[in-house]
Formats: sequence, C-alpha cells, structure tokens
Amino acid sequence: MALRVPVNLRKNLSVVLYAFQGLSFLAVIVGLASLLLLPLDEYSRRTYISENALLPGQVHAYFGGSEQNIVRAFRREVDLLGNSTSDVVAERMAEIFRSAGLKVGKQRYSYKAAGGEYTGENVYAVLHAPRGDATEAIVLCAPWRNIDHLLNEGGVALTLALSRYFKRWSLWSKDIIFLISSDARAGPQAWVDAYHDLHGKNIQSLSVKSGAIQGVVVVDYPGAYHRFESLHIIYDGINGQLPNLDLINTAVQISRDQMGLRTDLQEMWNHDDGYRHRLRTMLRGMVNQALGHSTGPHSSFIPYHIDAITLATHGDGGWHDEGSLGRTVESVFRSLNNLLEHFHQSFFFYLLMAPKRFVSIGTYLPAAMLLAVGLTLTAIRLWVDPRSRSGEEKKEEEKSEKVKEGGVVAVDGGPKRELFLPMSIVIGVHFCGVIPFAVFNSVDYKSMSSVFYIFIAASVILPTLISILITLTASPHRLLPAFHLSRCFSLLFLGMFLSTLATLNFSLSFLIGLFSLPLTFARTTPDSVPLALVNSILLQLTSPFAALFVVAGYWGLGVEDILKEASFGWWVWGMWTPVVVWCVWWPAWVVGRVSVDSSIVMAVMGKRGS
Amino acid sequence: MTLLFARSHQWLTSSPLKTFSRILTLLLLITLPGNIVIADTYKEKLDLQPLSGQFLLASFNFQSHGPIEAFNKQMFQLFPRSLGQILQYTHTRELHLRFALGRWDSELWGAQPGDGQNAGGTGVETWAWVEADNDVEAEARWTSLNNALSGLFCASLNFIDSTRTIRPVMSFNPTGDYPTTNTSRLFLLHGSLPKEPVCTENLTPFLKLLPCKGKSGISTLLDGHKLFDASFQSMSIDVRPICSPHTGTCDIEIQQTIDMVLDISRSLQRKDSPVPRPRDQHELICDTSKPYASNEYCYPMDNSIDLPWSLSDLFGRTISGGCPFAIDIPAEETQHVCIRAPENKLKTMETLELAASAPTDGQPDQKCYMLRENVPFDLSFPKQQPPISPLRQEPLLYAERSFTGHGQEHGGVKTVLRNPNPNDPIEVVYLESLPWFMKPYLHTFKAQVLPVLSGGEDVISELYYRPALDRKRGTQLEAKLVVPPNSVVILTYDFEKAVLRYTEYPPDANRGFDVASAIITIPPQKRRSDGEKIPATSIRTTSLLLSLPTPDFSMPYNVIIFTSTIMALAFGSIFNLLVRRFVAVDEVQRVDLKGKIRGLLGKLKKGKTE
Repeated sequence: MALRVPVNLRKNLSVVLYAFQGLSFLAVIVGLASLLLLPLDEYSRRTYISENALLPGQVHAYFGGSEQNIVRAFRREVDLLGNSTSDVVAERMAEIFRSAGLKVGKQRYSYKAAGGEYTGENVYAVLHAPRGDATEAIVLCAPWRNIDHLLNEGGVALTLALSRYFKRWSLWSKDIIFLISSDARAGPQAWVDAYHDLHGKNIQSLSVKSGAIQGVVVVDYPGAYHRFESLHIIYDGINGQLPNLDLINTAVQISRDQMGLRTDLQEMWNHDDGYRHRLRTMLRGMVNQALGHSTGPHSSFIPYHIDAITLATHGDGGWHDEGSLGRTVESVFRSLNNLLEHFHQSFFFYLLMAPKRFVSIGTYLPAAMLLAVGLTLTAIRLWVDPRSRSGEEKKEEEKSEKVKEGGVVAVDGGPKRELFLPMSIVIGVHFCGVIPFAVFNSVDYKSMSSVFYIFIAASVILPTLISILITLTASPHRLLPAFHLSRCFSLLFLGMFLSTLATLNFSLSFLIGLFSLPLTFARTTPDSVPLALVNSILLQLTSPFAALFVVAGYWGLGVEDILKEASFGWWVWGMWTPVVVWCVWWPAWVVGRVSVDSSIVMAVMGKRGS
Repeated sequence: MTLLFARSHQWLTSSPLKTFSRILTLLLLITLPGNIVIADTYKEKLDLQPLSGQFLLASFNFQSHGPIEAFNKQMFQLFPRSLGQILQYTHTRELHLRFALGRWDSELWGAQPGDGQNAGGTGVETWAWVEADNDVEAEARWTSLNNALSGLFCASLNFIDSTRTIRPVMSFNPTGDYPTTNTSRLFLLHGSLPKEPVCTENLTPFLKLLPCKGKSGISTLLDGHKLFDASFQSMSIDVRPICSPHTGTCDIEIQQTIDMVLDISRSLQRKDSPVPRPRDQHELICDTSKPYASNEYCYPMDNSIDLPWSLSDLFGRTISGGCPFAIDIPAEETQHVCIRAPENKLKTMETLELAASAPTDGQPDQKCYMLRENVPFDLSFPKQQPPISPLRQEPLLYAERSFTGHGQEHGGVKTVLRNPNPNDPIEVVYLESLPWFMKPYLHTFKAQVLPVLSGGEDVISELYYRPALDRKRGTQLEAKLVVPPNSVVILTYDFEKAVLRYTEYPPDANRGFDVASAIITIPPQKRRSDGEKIPATSIRTTSLLLSLPTPDFSMPYNVIIFTSTIMALAFGSIFNLLVRRFVAVDEVQRVDLKGKIRGLLGKLKKGKTE
C-alpha cells in the first residue's frame, strides 16, 4: 500500500515539483516575516540578570569628590602628550602607573595588512588583588585613540585615576589590569593574543601577566569637553560573537538605575522603545554582526571567550561628567568582582533591540534557518526534476522484469543523472573562490580599487565563459541536466552552509540568505531569452559586489576602504567574513549566473539540449 | 620545679592575695612528684622588615623543643598534645604543613624570608615522612593523618586523596635527624589543595598550639582581621626530630611560623575608615610644580613619603607583654622583636616604653628588643620624606607560570625561570603536580634558554615522570635543570583537557579547576665564582585556574522534564488502552433514570436486610 504513493507521484511529478516550489517560497516568506515580528512585545523579552552573584547596583560607588581633581590633572597630562609617538606615551603612562605602585608592562606590536603597517606600543599595569592568588583578572581598558582616531583624553585620565583609587580598596578578589592600548583596533588584539601566548613574530610577549581574564570594560571618553549626555554601550565582537548578556545588563542596570545615565545601543540616540526604533536597533546590530568587524577595543577579547563591552560617552550637552562615568565603572567592577564563576548563566546568542529588550536564539534562529531551508528545498526540487536526468531511457522490458522479480517497482527508475560534469563545475568554482580571497588579502591599499574593478569585470564575464565552454564541449542532451544539477548542488551546499552558519553568526547567514534569494528562482530558461536576461540582471544586482557597494554606502566609505578593512580584519583580527563571502557566497552566485547565462548561450548557439 | 615556682611566684606578686598564693604554691610543691621539670624550651621571635612599595614584612616564629623520649611516652609539656597524639598514632616522623594566601611579589620584595622554606603554595600544602612497613600501610597512615589534621585545623585536608598525593623524588629531603630509624621505612608523601581558602578558622587552631595561645607574647598581634587583610600571608607548622651529634640525645622540635606582608597605607586607612572614600581636598598631596596646579587640578604625589606607622596602627593592638615561657629560659637577653631597616631610618624609630633592647650581633641595620612580662610593647616610625628605599635581598631565581592558548580542548603551560645572577648558573629542581584531568603531552615538554646557549646543550639533566591514571592519581613531573647565569629558561608543555563525568564537577564548575603551584627547589650548592654557599631554598609559583569543558547543568533537568512528559503521555495512553474495555455502543446496557433509581433502591434494601 505504501508503495503506491511514489508510483503515483512518479506519474504525477509536477505536483511534487510545485509543492516544493511552494514550500520553498513559503519558507522564505515566513522567514522574513518572523524577523519582522521579533521587535513586538509578544516575541521579545525584557532583559534580566541571570547570574545572582553580580548584584548590579547593590553597592554604593564612591568615586568623585577629590578624585575628580586627580582626573582633571591626568587629563592635562594626556593632553600634553596628545601628538607624541606611542613609545613616549607608553613611557609616561608607565611612569604614572608605577608611581601608583602597580606592576607595569609594555608591549610593542606591528601588523602588516593591505600594504600598510600598523605599529604601536601598549602599556598596562596589574593591580594585584590584595589577597588574591593571581588566578583571575578583570581588565579596564582605555585606548589612547578611540576607534574614530580621537584622543581618548577622558578615558585614559579616568583609567589612570581609577588605578590609584582601586588600589586603596582591599575587597578585590581578582587582579585588575589597566590597559592603555595604543589604538582601538590593532593594539588590544596584539595584547590579548600575547596574553594567551598566541601572538605573531612582530608582537612582543608580555612581561607581566595575571590569571584568566573574566571580563573587560573599555572606557571611550574622547574630547576635551567633560560633560556628556548618555552612555553608548558597544558590544559586537569579531566574527559576530557577542559577550554574555549579563555583562550588558549589568552595565545598563547600573548606569540607568543607579547613576541615572541614559544608555544607548547601536548609535540609536533617541530610542522611544517603539516598534520602528526597536527594529532599527536590531537591524543595525545585525549589520555589525554580519560584517564581523571590530567595533571597539572590546571586540578583540570576545573570541577568547572573555566577555567585554565598551562604554562610550555620547553628546556634550548633558550634566554627567567623569565622576558619574567613574562611579559607573566602579560599580560595574564591583559587580564583576563578585563573580564566582566565569560568565555562563545568561545568553551568548541574542539580538538586542532596546537597552532592556532582547530576543534569544530560540526565537530568532528560525528566520535564518527558513531562508536556508528555502534554498535546500529548491535544491531538492531540482534533484527530483526529470529534466536533471540525461541518461538514456531504460528499455520497457527490463522494467517489467524487475517488477516481476521483486514485485516492487523501483522508485528511482528511469534515466540516470550524470553527476560528473555538474559536480566538477560546482567544486571548480568553489575552489576559484580562493583566488579573490587571496588577491584581496595581499593587494596594497593603493591598487585595491583598480584590482577590485578588474575583478568585477572578470566575474561578470566568467559565468558566461563557463557556460559557453560547457555548451561547446558537452553533448546537447546533457547540457540542460548539467546546468540543472550544478545549480542543485550549489544550492544544496549553500543551504547546508547557511544553516550551519546561522548557529554561529545568525546575521551573516541571514543577510547572505537574503541576497541569495534570486538564486532560488533564477533558473535555466532556454525557451525564454528575455526572462534569462531579467534573471541575469537581478543576479547581478544581488551579487557580492553589489553587497559590497551597499555596505560601502551604508558606512559612507569607498569600496577600497571596505576591502582594506576586510584585509586588515583577516590579518589582524582573524575575521572570517571574507572567507564566507569569497569561498561560499561568490561561488554560489557564479554557479547561479552560469545556469542563467547558459540559457542565453544555448539560445544563441542553437543548442536546445534534449 | 624551681623554674615553675619562680614563675608562679612572679605572676602572683602583683596580686593582693599574696600570702594565699604562697601557701598555694607550697601546697603544689608538696603534692607534685619532685622529679617534674619543664625540660621543653620555647622561643618566639618577631622579625619586622619594611619592604619597598610601602609594605611591611612581619615574620613570627615560635619554636619549642622537648626530649623525644618524653614525647614518645605521651608526656607533653609545651608540645601540643592534640598534634602530638595524631603524629604518634599515624607514625609520622616529620610533618610539614603550610597554609598560604596571596602571593609573594619577589620583583618588589626580593627573596622570601627564611629562604622560602616556610612558605607554601596558595591554599594548603602538606608533606610528611611516615614510617611504615610498606607502601600500602604508608598510604593508609597518610590518609588518617590528613583526616585528623583536617579536624584539628578546620581545613579540607581530608580531600587529599590518592589523586592529590604525590611522592616527590628529588624535591624534598628530610630536615630532621634519624639516627635510629631505618630510612627505608620512611615514606615521603606530599599533597596540596590549591583551592582551599585560608581564613580565621585555620588561625584559631594554629594559635591554640602555642604555649601562650595568643594571650601574651608576640602572638597577641595575630588578629584574624589584620592577618587576612595582608597582601601575602603564610602559616607553617614543622615537626621534626633533632639529635645532638655530641650527646646523642634527640629532641622533638615544633616550629610554627607566620609570615605576613602588610600594605601599610591600606592598613592605616582601615584605622580611619573602613571605606576608602575619596579624601578631602585639603588632604591630597599634590605636585605644586605642575603648571596647571590649582584647587581644581591635583597631580598626586603621595608616593613621595614614607608613611608613619606603629605596630598598634598596623595590628590594631600592642604586644601585651612577653610570653612567660619564652622569657626566662636563657640567662642572657633574648631577642623577641627585631626590626631590619636601613640604619638612618632606624635612628628615627621610637618604642613605647621600657622596652629593653637586646644585642643585635653587631648588625647596624638591625635593632632588637626583649619583651617583659605584662609590659606592653609598641614600635613607631615617623613620617619620612623623601622615602628611604628599604633593604632588599635579590632572590636566587624568579619563577612565573601561566597558561597559554585558549579553548576547551587543549592548552599549554609556560614557566619562566630567570636567574638574575650575572656569573653563576644555578641548579634547580622543578616539581609539578597536576590533576588527572589535565593530561600533559610529555613529548612537548621543552626547555628553551634565552639568550641561546652557544653549546646548545640541554639544560635538563634529569627527568622524573609519573603519568596520571584516570580518577586514581595525578601526574607528577620533576625535572632537574640548570639555569645559566643572567638568562631565562622557558619550560613549556602542552596538555589535553579531559571531560569529566557529570557528578565529578564541583558546584562552581564554571569557575574552573585550580592547579597547584609548581614547587621549585634549589638544593644547597656552592657558587662557582666565589665559593659562597647557597642554602636550600624553595620557591612556589602561583596556582593556575584551568577551565574545563563544562556542560550546561540546566540541560539534564530539561531532559528529565522532557522525558518525563513523554513518559507520562505514553504511559497515560498505553495504560488507558490496556485497562479500558472497548465495547460496541449497542452492546452497552441502556440505563435510564428509572433504572438508576431502581438500582439504588435495590442497594438500599440489600443494606437493610443485612
């Protein structure tokens, strides 16, 4: 009885094909819609402190009063050093730390990426926990120049003052490391790499070390003007990894509830907690996560499973000053100091849409998964499609014999699929992905844009060339199935990869899935050249290059800057986004274009296949 | 007896019941057998030494001797009975017990007091020579020794089981004399508990072992609050037999020491207010030479003075007077309190009253005092500006150990041994005791010398390795090596992390697992250049925090709840199917209202007739 179904379906295959197409379409629509539903109250949750030990805001913070005189003096010291070289700065900072009675270390580093050299000198000081045993540490970091290359006057001065202030307390259970990194991008990376002895040749080892780092707070307080309006909490890590939500919640709760400081996320300065603002905050977070780049000194710590955030001041019209920021940092450190275990209670996978509202992985994951499912369903549809079969039809006699022998009808009867040609197309193109990846990671910044435009031209022509080559060499009746199957394999691989990626970097997976949507319907249409042309243009518009232009426009930068950032990211931070783009997405796109272009080529060359 | 009489006499002279006391002593004299004489001798000494960075080292040493025959006959005089009986019961000939908290900062403070012989690794460390016929018996006695000590010292010593016990081969040698015992019957066992937090509950039993029990003598300074606020503190108990080579008589010696390093500024500030609030503006010590110096700006200068301190400031009380047992024994004056500091600093020192100075063996940088009974003693140093740099003895070796790498699967350990001596190499024994779940790869064990030796010879001369057995014993690694002059030896090895069973994780699994300090022993040797003898010295590295792959402990509960639900559903429906009798609708007897009433009536009637 059960066997009758496939036999019937075989007779009536178009039902299955339509069903797959419908399901694939439905998956994509539901996936997109579910993402848009997330900011609603019914789907998102209020944040809460999961780790009981943190007790945020339960202690009184005392920083202020005469300590502010010291901060002001240190501000002047930092100001005097403003444009000095990093070794002069490091020496002076080391002197100040030493006079506070701390252990001081310095570290020179040098990175090479995109033809440029990034050098600097980090300086750091270790405050030994009074009764501690050097097993655990927390880090207070202030980059000398912040991510926008502004002199981080307030941040550095505050760190210097806090180092003296913290030393007077005997309650620390963990060592406190005060790190003044030379810049916000390469310096912290060099330092954290060397802390774990995983640094390269051009980076000095650390002379002074402490225990396992449990948390990092970065203070970004640039400018000479003391007052600020609100606190911007930056949390995105390299490769879209995020710090534990408890750390962000602690910072938010302390600054909002204890200090009366407004907190902002993702540069959304006037958040009204409405649907549109929540959605925008979430989407901005997703873009940062998808790009996987560093958004501040904290980003470099996160891949080491060290939870880190940046507290950046924003605006200069408010009534908060270094005192309130110092108290906030003090209170956050008191909370971190309370930690008995490494951060593990709360979420590591979440999307924040307001300082106190989030969705966790269980709720948002289906969105990206459904996009990947859409791709996979299309691939299955192509596999089932009889047009993907090219072998000769078996003789009727053999078929009937089989039925007689076993009394069972082989479901997978009929002509066979020729796998060699499509397989080699897909694998070959994926291997080609290494070329742009290697080229863009080794080219100088100066020649970056010219190389990029050459590469665009090459990859516009490449699919057409491949389809011409195949049309010329392969026998006509194998052509159409070969293009069908290569698309099938490519989509299958992409679907599989995206669903895996979704668990690691949801946003990257979702955005690539979104851009890859045309791949699900842009198919080989040898009968309709105009449709093929439309599809081809559509694919061109959703290519990785188009995405690059979109990203460049979003940040207001040139494409070469984005590529330079990618190259820097690869060499310095170990950022995997370029690998995903060039070795997964780009090949899938090329195969998609091959199957679309082949219809035009076949029409022009008069090879309609079987 | 005369001694005893004299002492009691002295005690009671100040009392108004003078005559009564005399009668009482006479009575005592008559009733007691005449041959009892306190043969035990007792000494106590407090060494003070200011250290750089506004720290003060206070070393308390309590030592008592008694004839071993009396000890064997359970005739305890000054030797604590509680400990003596444990040692006799477990046939322990020599015992070393260490409690330590914090870390010794050798960069700043120099060599450890007593050549590091009295210091242990963080937490609790113990080793003993147990007399036994065979290994099994020794193990059993070691276990019962630890169990008994655990009760005596309120420490988790009973957790020293076979996985934490090692038998060092090269690192430890007996310090006692064994003229009569066959040394092959002595078994050395060593155990450590790096996670044990040392606190007041360990101090109280420690003080109870002293003859004066913290009521008089230098031990009155030992207050739990002050002791455990110290930056470093180590308590030790050593019991060993000592024989005189001339007379051949043997004594049992118990030596108790406490070394503590106090942060002078923090201790003084505690006196004023327990919370280190920002100081008042006029209390700030500012650098007025800065161009911006004003009421608003203060560049701190408080590192430019030596703070004034006195014993009563730092310890919260004065020494209440000498311990009677430690006063009268030798005819000459004893040193009870000694202070080592630069000569010109000692000149400014003041003592409270009536403190008799004791001879200092001609050392100009030392001053000693003798305590008198019931006469309080205090010492005070005035403020000093500019500060006088304190005496510092260069340590023989600097040692530092840290983890390398990150991740849940593998890791590495890196130990840096630095010989500061410019001329002489130093021979060192490195002992590492690792828990079984940290599995080192011995083939990765390497020693790198910096700067690279010309001969390229191997610095490791001997290696003893006892591999771990899962859940039975840990790894023991001992290496004898030579650190060339003015160079650094870097020992590295990689290890694999084991996955524990669910129940083997401690309640705070995400904190990580403590790995005991490495023990570096410098055997007694002669310097090659000047023939100076180097005494046996030992150095401990800090302990490490190893993070193991940790399961999500809420997961099992989820699984339990989930499976229970499914079980309940399945059980419910299957039970229903089994128990319920299925009948067709028409088979069921129709029961209408009349019938029901009739049935009820029938039942009632039945009940009545019965």
